[in-house]
Amino acid sequence: MSSEVLVLGTAVLLFAIGGAGALVHRHPVAMLMCVEIMLNAANLVIVLGARVRGLADAESAALIVLVLAAAEAVIGLALALALFRRRTTADIDTAAELHG
Amino acid sequence: MDDLFVPLLIGCLIALGSALGVVLVRRPIYSAVALLVHSLSLAGLFAILSAAMVAVGQVLIYSGAIVVLFLFVVTLLPTGGQELAPAGNRVAAGVIAAAALLVALGATLGGGIPPVAATFDLSVAAVGHALFGPLLVAFELTAPLLLVAIVGGVVVWRRHEPRPRISPRPVTTGEPRKLVLHR
Repeated sequence: MSSEVLVLGTAVLLFAIGGAGALVHRHPVAMLMCVEIMLNAANLVIVLGARVRGLADAESAALIVLVLAAAEAVIGLALALALFRRRTTADIDTAAELHG
Repeated sequence: MDDLFVPLLIGCLIALGSALGVVLVRRPIYSAVALLVHSLSLAGLFAILSAAMVAVGQVLIYSGAIVVLFLFVVTLLPTGGQELAPAGNRVAAGVIAAAALLVALGATLGGGIPPVAATFDLSVAAVGHALFGPLLVAFELTAPLLLVAIVGGVVVWRRHEPRPRISPRPVTTGEPRKLVLHR
């Protein structure tokens, strides 16, 4: 097994783990962490592609993905805090106010 | 780049183990610590893949900012991080989704990898030239994106705050307020 296949397989496994965790968890912050794992896996593929092709453009794209992850974490965490300010248990299933 | 196989293998194992830790641990504060290990191991992987700039950005933005933000939020939550046990249908959905993602991604990415470029220039200068050349519009658009994210975060937070009650001015008594000197 070559190094590239190893990194690619790791990225695929990380994406699957993150997707499963986002579905399994009921805590909104834990769900956001699993989404961050999925973003990291995608970033790993981008960086691997930059190394394989020898292109610096892809690395710049990976940097922009990092900034996107920061913005997503800010909004997601603000939503989680706003939803669960007056609740006793942090359960995403009880958040049903958004029905319009 | 097969001489890098062993360090890459170590980094991949740490990344996979810490990702499993994030998913399997019940308390979100431990999940956040596992996420910290995960992001640091990914920074190591980026450095091994000769992406120094992204590795530094990963340590600064992910480990330094995002994970710390997660830790703050976990401590601010009302229950401090207690999580209910997942329902059975949620576990089933997670397993099915993971299997489907594995099959789909394996079928898509299993076609093989093109030969690795022998010569490459992934220095910070090359990344900067790409960032301020062909990707300039995307780079500039990250500034309004971050601004909108900050404003949106504040708005979402403030909307759920109880409005301050506007009360009539308190009736002032005839006596003027005394000046108290603290020593």
